Amino acid sequence: MRACVCVVCSQIKGSFIPPLPSAAPPSMVSTEQRQHAEHVFLSFRKSKSPFAICKHILETSKVDYVLFQAATAIMEAVVREWILLEKTSIESLRAFLLTYVLQRPNLQKYVREQILLAVAVIVKRGSLDKSINCKSIFHEVGQLISSGNPTVQTLACSILTALLSEFSSSSKTSSIGLSMEFHGSCKRLFQEEGLRQIFMLTMEVLQEFSRRENLSAQMSSVFQRYLALANQVLSWNFLPPNHILSLSVNVTLKPTESWREALLDTRVMDLFFTVHRKIREDSDMAQDSLQCLAQLASMHGPIFPDESAQVSYLAHLVEGLLSMINGIEIEDSEAVGISNIISNLITMFPRSILTALPSDLFTSFINCLTLLTCSFGRSAALEEVLDKDDMVYMEAYDKLLESWLTLVQDEEHFPRGCFIQPAIQVFNSYIQCHLAAPDGTRNLTTGSCSQDQLSSIGMLGRVAADHCIPLLTSLLEDRVTRLHGQLQRTQQHLMASSDPGSVDRKVLDDLYEDIHWLILVSGYLLADDPQGETPLIPSEVMEFSIKHSTEVDINTTLQILGSPGEKASSIPGCNRTDSVIRLLSAVLRTSEVESRATRASLTELLSPQMGKDIVWFLRRWAKTYLLVDEKLYEQISMPLSTAFGADTEGAQWIVGYLLEKVINNLSVWSSEAELANDTVELLVTLVEKRERANIVVQCESWWNLAKQFASRSPPLHLLSSSVQRSLMKALVLGGFAHMDSDTKQQYWAEVLHPLQQRFLNLINQENFAQISQEEAVKREIVATLEALCGIAEATQIDNVASLFSFLMDFLSSCIGLMEVYSNTPETINLIIEVFVEVAHKQICYLGETKSMKLYEACLTLLQVYSKNNQSRKRGDATAEEDQYQDLLLIMELLTNLLSKEFIDFSDTDEVFRNQDQGTPASNRTVSAADVVLYGVNIVLPLMSQDLLKFPSLCNQYYKLITFICEIFPEKIPQLPEDLFKSLMFSLELGMTSMSSEISQLCLEALSPLAEQCAKNQEKDTPLFIATRHFLKLVFDMLVLQKHNTEMTVAAGEALYTLVCLHQAEYSELVETLLSSQRDAVIYQRLADAFNKLTASSTPPTMDRKQKVAFLKSLEEFVANVGGLLCVK
Amino acid sequence: MADPDCDFQTGESGASATYPMQCSALRKNGYVVLKGRPCKIVEMSTSKTGKHGHAKVNLVGIDIFTNKKYEDMCPSTHNMDVPDIKRLDYQLVNISENYMSLMSDNGDVREDLRVPENEVGKEIEAKFEAVAHSCLFLPSTCWFCHSHS
Repeated sequence: MRACVCVVCSQIKGSFIPPLPSAAPPSMVSTEQRQHAEHVFLSFRKSKSPFAICKHILETSKVDYVLFQAATAIMEAVVREWILLEKTSIESLRAFLLTYVLQRPNLQKYVREQILLAVAVIVKRGSLDKSINCKSIFHEVGQLISSGNPTVQTLACSILTALLSEFSSSSKTSSIGLSMEFHGSCKRLFQEEGLRQIFMLTMEVLQEFSRRENLSAQMSSVFQRYLALANQVLSWNFLPPNHILSLSVNVTLKPTESWREALLDTRVMDLFFTVHRKIREDSDMAQDSLQCLAQLASMHGPIFPDESAQVSYLAHLVEGLLSMINGIEIEDSEAVGISNIISNLITMFPRSILTALPSDLFTSFINCLTLLTCSFGRSAALEEVLDKDDMVYMEAYDKLLESWLTLVQDEEHFPRGCFIQPAIQVFNSYIQCHLAAPDGTRNLTTGSCSQDQLSSIGMLGRVAADHCIPLLTSLLEDRVTRLHGQLQRTQQHLMASSDPGSVDRKVLDDLYEDIHWLILVSGYLLADDPQGETPLIPSEVMEFSIKHSTEVDINTTLQILGSPGEKASSIPGCNRTDSVIRLLSAVLRTSEVESRATRASLTELLSPQMGKDIVWFLRRWAKTYLLVDEKLYEQISMPLSTAFGADTEGAQWIVGYLLEKVINNLSVWSSEAELANDTVELLVTLVEKRERANIVVQCESWWNLAKQFASRSPPLHLLSSSVQRSLMKALVLGGFAHMDSDTKQQYWAEVLHPLQQRFLNLINQENFAQISQEEAVKREIVATLEALCGIAEATQIDNVASLFSFLMDFLSSCIGLMEVYSNTPETINLIIEVFVEVAHKQICYLGETKSMKLYEACLTLLQVYSKNNQSRKRGDATAEEDQYQDLLLIMELLTNLLSKEFIDFSDTDEVFRNQDQGTPASNRTVSAADVVLYGVNIVLPLMSQDLLKFPSLCNQYYKLITFICEIFPEKIPQLPEDLFKSLMFSLELGMTSMSSEISQLCLEALSPLAEQCAKNQEKDTPLFIATRHFLKLVFDMLVLQKHNTEMTVAAGEALYTLVCLHQAEYSELVETLLSSQRDAVIYQRLADAFNKLTASSTPPTMDRKQKVAFLKSLEEFVANVGGLLCVK
Repeated sequence: MADPDCDFQTGESGASATYPMQCSALRKNGYVVLKGRPCKIVEMSTSKTGKHGHAKVNLVGIDIFTNKKYEDMCPSTHNMDVPDIKRLDYQLVNISENYMSLMSDNGDVREDLRVPENEVGKEIEAKFEAVAHSCLFLPSTCWFCHSHS
């Protein structure tokens, strides 16, 4: 019997039973034998009416795996043959299975679960035609539970769990070949009746167990199962009315009205608190009980009859929570669960309900939250030290800080000032955890900084600005003084002993780490970093400064600000300064100590991390505070506007100071790539707004920087290419600041002309072709190309005219370089990149003649590339990567050129008014279409399926071909045959087997193609035939497959235009679909739905109004019958 | 000379064959001297020691003559030697008994180089057969075996 394929039995009572393999140890089975065995099982499961045989196998076989297969066969056959079976025989089959399991307590778990799954599937299928009465099931299960026998109770729990999974209509649900609509309506019925029954049964069990004093191990395991079941019920994703599918991922508890009695009963919640108290030391069970409470804390929706019910529910919850937490020492395994409860109730309950709580209860809650936050924060810091894998306290701390952020953002709803004290405590404890002794408790320097945490702490700092801003200032000033002293002592030490290894870095590193955190928190407190918006001074900070402005001595404040080299406390009257300015001054003092140390050749001792923190802060600060615009604020603080406003000495001084800092950093820190990058970004920030740039260009050091960079002299030439690029960008941006015309001319002569001159001198040398491969020459060329990218990046609407002319001169020379450097892929890439940047930044501003010039240049570039590429050998290993880079850049270039068609700011060469207009438009030689199609000719043959596996390449590729179809549909039929074919193949591939984003892009490409066909009125063209194929694809996609709603619009538009084009084929598709329906009801529903779908647009014409009408009907169509044909 | 290929490595003048460059300014695909050998940089990455430490650069290079791999790590502020690579183009005038006659741009002919016994060599011969003359590139450098003391 053991030898692989064995015959269980051959012929019983005349029915032939296929020989079933039995399980054998893997080592004894060959692959062929295994495949054969699999085949036997699979065909067995498909055999007709296997019930008698299966019953027989179940009763006689001793092999678990065979039992499992028999159960599976029953389940599949019942569903398959449901209509043919007598209701009574189904009922007896179900009874048989249940009894079978009951009588065999020692079945393998997976066999038992599979049999119960079969029962659950039968119940679910039966609920559709009401042939099975759910009530009787629950009655039976209830009896099993009351038996008191742990084994039977476990079994009952398994039945309920199986029912829950089957009815949940989720990924856990078995596929039984029925429509999603069926699954949806089963679920809806179940959640009103069966689910609540299960909940009640579960509650009874939990009640029972919670009363017991001592639980045996077996009892306790039953208890655990029911607790998990309760969690599953409370995490039920309640299906809203009129929905077939539920989408949300994070399930909150939103039961229907009918659950009122069950869930609003305070005893339910009390029970869960009691249960948790009882089992909290068991970390597995505690997770379930806390999760149940968290679900209860998320309860919302129609279950609450009115606000007062909601208030009393919340009050009861908060009371229960407080009495649970108070007086216990929280276990590690409870932290996340407890923070989930709190976070859920703060997120889900409306502010009006929170404030309606009795005030002392609310206060106790806030106090408890405060203590918990501080304590989790401390434990989280300890976790970092111990380097634990599982950072439970960190997770809990994050959750609570997030909750604070939610509360504080809605501060106006709560009693005034009620968050100040809590904010102070949480803020203090955060600072404490991140500072070294004696002020703090930190004992290592490896903590990572979470931006979310810092935002929350910054926000809390603003709420308690009165406390937090002065605290940060005094801590930072103290650390800076100590750092200064420590650096001096180290310097003396180094002078005495020449061995740099003897320096003890511990003290310094501790100070750097303290300063690191203090600067980060200060930055997050003082300013936001909104993307794309003008950052404003936070209102809390502004109010704080205004509130104290009467006590402030403005001159002393300015003196403190303007003397970063001196100790703040040594300045007389230093107590009467504006605190916001004083905090900035403290950072400037840090910066000054750093700069002085570099001048004293102590750079080795400094921390690049601190350097980064300083420029990060200064940049964030400058964006918000420098040249503060009074028009943006309702009220403005005098000290702030006096110190940083437009036309103030303070602002001028700071700009000069920041500039010096940047210049110093760029020479000292060229070896620290990130720091150099952050530094040059600070410089860009200073010049990207005209008002700031106006001040910058008045500084002499700015001009020196420009000259130094233009001459490529040390140390700036050491900077990485990306830094050099941004530096060029900054220098160009600065050139558009306000200057008189002589000065401006002089500036450009200093900045741009040397670049051009050097380049031309080099490439015009007679022997350039020979020297071109010399390292020095290559470096010069690369530096020039990088600079050109930087110049293009600096484009703004008011400088595009001059920058475009300047860059155009270079572009043609660059094409010449393509030949010279055809063997140096990285240079080729850089040349293409220059074109990409110019097109990206400038095409939208260019008028017709200028655009054409650019098109011409791009076309030549592509021609040269294509020529070189053909002869180029791609033998070595990096070839694919090179090619990937080239293609990506070329596609980017083409897409940028195409973008002109929908983003165009040009006003018929308005910005070029004063310049030569060039060739008149009527003689246009090159169009965007020519360039792009030429480019596609190059790209398409090179795009392999392997290359499409690079996500960025794939995205860029589909973006490009969709644009082409949308913008130049008339060019598509003119493509050469194989190019056309591969384009169509790409579209189909993108639609059917790529991400939904790409599939959407491809769908968008279809409408313009179909419209193009309609315009041409030629049938049997390749495009016409291709669109017919797409009609079927889109039709199947919309009607037969599960798809997300975003896609419906794109697919709908495509479908409509395709239907217009191929009306007969569409009718055929509908007919075929309808004729395949055997169920008359479904047939009718479908037929009606299809009629309605096209009713408003018959006959379909390509008319916007009709199309909109169609899309609207389609929405209804999908909601109505979308799930009907979608099978699971 | 036993192996004529070694001839690549001798220079014509006594000028310095290397110049110093800050480590952080080196680039991938550029050149650097690693363990006394001129290398093309194939990999370059930075790391740092501790949160407040300074950047270090890890370099992997391939010897331009022997294709052997070398690795080195140094603080990003330090200077590294960069070999002064010069590339000379010769025109192939003739092949005689496996030795090539090569003409430089100024008309000088050298005949001391053997046709390499590899794919490139075969290609040179094939092309030479086909067009009777062809262009080929040889790397040349004023490279002296540089010793670090």
